[in-house]
Amino acid sequence: MKINFTEEQNTFRQEIRSWLELNLPKNKLQSLDTKEGFEQHREWEKTLNSGNWSMVTWPKEYGGRALNLIEWLIFEEEYYRAEAPTRVNQNGVFLLGPTLMEYGTDVQKNKFLNAMATGDHVWAQGWSEPGAGSDMAAIRTTAVLEDGFFVINGQKTWSSRAAYADWTFGLFRTDLESERHHGLSFILAPLDLPGITVRPIPQLDGEPGFAEIYFDDVKVPAENLIGGEGEGWKIAMATAGFERGLMLRSPARFQQTAAKLLSLYLENESTCSPAIQAKIVDAWAQSESYALSIYHTASKLMDGGSIGSESSLGKIFWSELDYMMHETALKILGANAELDTEEHQDAAQWIKGFMFSYAGPIYAGTNEIQKNIIAERLLGLPR
Amino acid sequence: MKFVFTEEQLQFQETMKGFLAQECTPDSIRLGWQENKPFNAKRWEAICDLGVLGANLKEEDGGLGIDQIALTLMIEEMGYVALPEPVAEQNFLVNDILGLFPAEIQEAIKSKFNSGMDYIAVAHPHNPHPVFLDDSKALIMFDETSCHFLEKGDYDSEDIKSNDPSRVLSKIHEIKSSIHSDQNFATLNQAVISRGTLQSAALLIGLAQKMLDLSSAYVLDRNQFGKPIGSFQAVKHMLADVAVAIEFARPAIYRASYSLFDHNSKSALHCAHAKYMAVKAAELACKNCIQAHGAMGYTWEMDLHIYMRKAWSLMACWGNDDQQQKIIFNTLKSSNDEIGVLYTF
Repeated sequence: MKINFTEEQNTFRQEIRSWLELNLPKNKLQSLDTKEGFEQHREWEKTLNSGNWSMVTWPKEYGGRALNLIEWLIFEEEYYRAEAPTRVNQNGVFLLGPTLMEYGTDVQKNKFLNAMATGDHVWAQGWSEPGAGSDMAAIRTTAVLEDGFFVINGQKTWSSRAAYADWTFGLFRTDLESERHHGLSFILAPLDLPGITVRPIPQLDGEPGFAEIYFDDVKVPAENLIGGEGEGWKIAMATAGFERGLMLRSPARFQQTAAKLLSLYLENESTCSPAIQAKIVDAWAQSESYALSIYHTASKLMDGGSIGSESSLGKIFWSELDYMMHETALKILGANAELDTEEHQDAAQWIKGFMFSYAGPIYAGTNEIQKNIIAERLLGLPR
Repeated sequence: MKFVFTEEQLQFQETMKGFLAQECTPDSIRLGWQENKPFNAKRWEAICDLGVLGANLKEEDGGLGIDQIALTLMIEEMGYVALPEPVAEQNFLVNDILGLFPAEIQEAIKSKFNSGMDYIAVAHPHNPHPVFLDDSKALIMFDETSCHFLEKGDYDSEDIKSNDPSRVLSKIHEIKSSIHSDQNFATLNQAVISRGTLQSAALLIGLAQKMLDLSSAYVLDRNQFGKPIGSFQAVKHMLADVAVAIEFARPAIYRASYSLFDHNSKSALHCAHAKYMAVKAAELACKNCIQAHGAMGYTWEMDLHIYMRKAWSLMACWGNDDQQQKIIFNTLKSSNDEIGVLYTF
């Protein structure tokens, strides 16, 4: 055990910091869930890629730097510290990317990873359906192989980023006789094909962060199948593992929120009761613990270990923490919390974050589903 | 950066685990309660023979020279079985800071006692009632300004009963004579507070894990409505919450151990963090695990309370979560420019 950064790691940190200082957009980008904001964020992805910062852990041939997970965590720390823009392509770089790396063919990797890194392909998730939310094995959208094409019919929903994205990845039922998690396949589909209708769904903040995708005899080339036919569930579980585990929510995000919460408290200390102090400590202690846990996990992975159902523990922890921190911020802000004016931009940011923190315990598998997974797979309780 | 244990550290933990599974069973603890002698002399001797009591002493002082990280892993195992004997206390409160005591006290400890075999009790304002004073060879007592070394006969004391029959406590009434000194006091005092805090956190996380394991087994075994109660989501979720709390307390404990090992200038904060998280986890474990046992959990017969009682006591020793919260808050407030995303390590 040696839990200090090396000289090389500190140098690497400096390199990211200097690059971000030079290259960060001068003005704050618009929300990525608006058409204009989406394209601004796509531009930022291109800028990141020009510095080879799209995904530092990827091999160099795909636009990465072939670095390890610790270095990725350092990158994330600098990224959040600099308050750099949200990654519009996080579905791609954090979720589909690792899946392709593990299950994609060389042709698929060449086609999709570079386009992902450059921001030319921005990805949407295509898991849930109206009848398949927490119960994802109830998926009914079909993909029938005919003359070298999958013909897709059905509907996906809660598809993050789909309003403006270029591609979607998801699970489709390729064996019409199959049930539950059998007979599903993992397929990639461009969202501009004939027969596809995307209907944006405005979220709690009023912006269309997710959408419904309707498939009406949509023909997708068979080469867009990842892994084998019928292997979709296994591959999706791996993707969900990345999402719940390391990639989706790196600790820096929460540590940065905890630090901002502390500043907010110190500015308003005279109006707060001691109960808020307890929350400030909780915010620091929990975000610190989350960071330690992720460094511990990353070290184990680099040492040849694997990540399984343990990722469910983290998903519950960070989503509850994020909610608690934002709720506390609103308490500190008091009557100003609801203000959405030029001079109260900080308050407006907190309440936006607060609304989004309600989504954490729901997306990527609700926390109730995660607790079932923990009980059944880690504690050995019966289904 | 490599936040994993070495083979050697894990080996120490495994050895300890195997030994304690044999030597420290619930039955043996209950026997100690019945005989009003929770300190088991035979087990103590076996622990000393194994070299555990002096494990972290330097080799020239008769120890194995193991580091704080391996020690913490071993102490977690002592918590897991609710070991009554004060091994963790001796390891961290005496051995680990031996070099920090004033010269005359170090001299007294080294010349008069068989290191690695003799137990020295510690009393401190944060832990005012030393455990197993009758079984100790000497007492180190901290007051607000100095450190005292006392042999039998140097003080008047009285035994006081604990809610946990595994703990025999004492109250020190009067110091008649002592070797005492205020030399190096601030450093020594902080060192003993940090270690008291950390060892109680490590014991607590072992106890919480034990309570969770007992409960997982119980809810598989107990049937209602024609199936194991562990198949009901209300029960599953209660225990899953405990698993989450333990998972995120553990790395804080390991980091605090490393900070002591690495002489990190923030080790006091890191130890407070470890205890804060450990108390939260142990508190939830007590609450949810007794609930998972239903009325059986409320009986003397069920073993759960062996671990629960010890947890209740240790949560408060060396500062409970409220006191750690105060320490953390004051640190955050006074050094907020050095806390946060860039200052974890």
